[in-house]
Amino acid sequence: MHKMKERQPRWSLLQRRTSLVAALFVPIVLALVLPGCAVKFIGDYDETIDKGVTDVQQRAELYFSRLQSTPNTPYDQNFYDDMNSRLAVSKSRAASLPKYPIIVEQLANLKAQFDTFQKLDKSSPRPFPGVAVTDAESAIAVSVESILKLELALKRGAPPSTCDYPVVRLRL
Amino acid sequence: MALNVATLASRMLGAALPILKKDARDAESFAKLEFTKIAQTIVAIGEQVVSGQINEQQAGLLLAMQTSASRNVFLTLQGLALLAVEAAINAALNVVRSAVNTALGFALIA
Repeated sequence: MHKMKERQPRWSLLQRRTSLVAALFVPIVLALVLPGCAVKFIGDYDETIDKGVTDVQQRAELYFSRLQSTPNTPYDQNFYDDMNSRLAVSKSRAASLPKYPIIVEQLANLKAQFDTFQKLDKSSPRPFPGVAVTDAESAIAVSVESILKLELALKRGAPPSTCDYPVVRLRL
Repeated sequence: MALNVATLASRMLGAALPILKKDARDAESFAKLEFTKIAQTIVAIGEQVVSGQINEQQAGLLLAMQTSASRNVFLTLQGLALLAVEAAINAALNVVRSAVNTALGFALIA
C-alpha cells in the first residue's frame, strides 16, 4: 500500500509527459492528414492592404514630383500626417489578420522610412536637393514592391481548404 | 497492397522538389533586382556627398531609408520561403494520397 502511494507521482509525471507530447504533435499530424486540410504557414491575400499600400505610394510620388519640379516647395506637415494615418490604418488591419506578422513588420518599416524622410525634409534648407528626392523615392519604391510582391504571392492560385483543429486540452 | 516507404518518399520528393526549385529561382530574381537598386542608391549617396550635392547628415538619413528597404526585401523573402514550403508539403501529400488511401482502405489523406 505504502509502495503504491510512492509510485503515484512517477506515473503522474509520465502521464503529463505523454499529454504534452500529444498536445504538441497531434495538431501537426492532424493538419497533414485530416480530410480537406491544407498546410498553411502564412495568411491570405488582402485587397485592402494591397490598395492601401498602392495608394500611399501614389501620394508619395506626387509629393516627390512636387519637390523635384519645384525645389523651393516648403515642408508640408499635412503630407506626413496623411501618410501616418494611412499607414496606421493598414497596419491595424494587418495586425488583425491571421498569420500576418511579416506584413505588419513591413508596414512598420515603411512608416519608419517616411519618418526618416520627414526629418530630412524638415531639416533641409531650400532649394531641396533633387538627388535626395531620387534616393528616398527609390528606397520607398523597394519597400512598396516588396510588400506587394508578398501580397500577390499570398493569392496562391486555388484557395486551400480550411480546417478546424480539435482543441487539445492539457491536464497537467 | 502494402505501402512501401522508399517509393512513397521518392514520389513525395519528386512532387515537392520542383516547387522548391522554382520558388527559389523566383525569390532569387526578386532579391537580385531589389538589392541591385539598393546598392546603386548607396553608391549614388556616396558620390552625392563627395560632389557636395548633399551633406553628411542628409546622407545618413538617406542610408537609413535604404536599410529599411533592405529589411523589407528580407521579410518578403521570408514570406516567399514559407509559401514555398507550404506548397511543397501540400504537393507531397497530394501525390501519395491515392496510394495511401487505397492501401489502407479508408481516406486517411483527403
